[in-house]
Amino acid sequence: MKFLIVDDSVTMRRIVANSLKNLGYTDFVEAADGQQALDVLASDADIKFVITDWNMPEVSGLELVKAIRGDSKLAGLPILMVTTRGIKEDIIEALNAKVNNYVVKPFTPQILKEKIDQILEAV
Amino acid sequence: MKRVENMTQLFDKLNDLKSVFSYGQKIIPIIQSLIDFMKETVPLLETINKSIAESTSKIPRAQDQINNITNATEMATTEILDIVDIISDDIQKVENTVKAIDEKEKNRAGIRIKLRTYLQGNTEALALLDEYEKGDFISETINDLLESFQKIKNDAYNITLSLQVQDVTAQQLAAVNHLIDSVQGKLASLINDLTDGESQKDIEKVITPAIGTFDPNANYETSGQRQIETDSIIQESKSKQSQDDIDKLFA
Repeated sequence: MKFLIVDDSVTMRRIVANSLKNLGYTDFVEAADGQQALDVLASDADIKFVITDWNMPEVSGLELVKAIRGDSKLAGLPILMVTTRGIKEDIIEALNAKVNNYVVKPFTPQILKEKIDQILEAV
Repeated sequence: MKRVENMTQLFDKLNDLKSVFSYGQKIIPIIQSLIDFMKETVPLLETINKSIAESTSKIPRAQDQINNITNATEMATTEILDIVDIISDDIQKVENTVKAIDEKEKNRAGIRIKLRTYLQGNTEALALLDEYEKGDFISETINDLLESFQKIKNDAYNITLSLQVQDVTAQQLAAVNHLIDSVQGKLASLINDLTDGESQKDIEKVITPAIGTFDPNANYETSGQRQIETDSIIQESKSKQSQDDIDKLFA
């Protein structure tokens, strides 16, 4: 399964990538913001899972989620939001935008695995 | 008669004038102290104005320094991640080598078992084989090594996870920079008012991250409590959605 990791922090992209490797997922690509992510998604049909941050320049994670859900070709993609934003209003806003699940940074590998597994079971 | 009236009016006016002068005599010291106060205050205001201008001109340097801290910590974090990756790769290589040795050792053990059946009846050869196998502690050592490798790999991965602190602090610093930016804006407008726009052109502007690109409430909290609360909000929201769906069906 090919993952798309979207985060403006190089550090976070590497941490998520390392975590995915540890979970046995070795196929992934990266994007530094929502716009780059949309460009990657437009050119790579093999991506089956998106892990995205919220706070990013250009196109934010939330806008990315809305753009994916609004695109008939991409609408079904599982999306996991991994962000520092942990207040109730933010979580509800992300759920309303139809993220599949939500992880608050700093995350543990167990939480990341649990959420990916939950999403994949439900899809 | 008319003349007397006019004289009375004149005296009244003169009395009024006298009152004005006597009031003036009373107020003159107050006006004098007001003038003295103004004389003392003007240089003070100029000093305040200068201080504000100086502080404002130092703000971009402070913002630059904060940006430098963010960039330096990101670079350092990347270097640490590189080193951790190298350590993990090296450990993996050594682990693979040890596993290959383990595999060869298992093959040799199989050969020894076969050899033992061929040597049945040859007591001297079997005794030699027993002697050879007595010192065979390789498989135990290999298991210990493999456990140690796993532990090192887990520790290296935990270092990686702890580096999430860099992302959190970068967002906190971005929030501080944004606050400084707002203060600079207010001070700049104050200076502008005080100097009729003269000093405005001297104030440097540092590009700070736009709102929305950082979380001002970012927090490095590792107890897991925030995730528990998040999960409970998600659960609550999903239950509400399900109930809404049921209600719609019966509406």
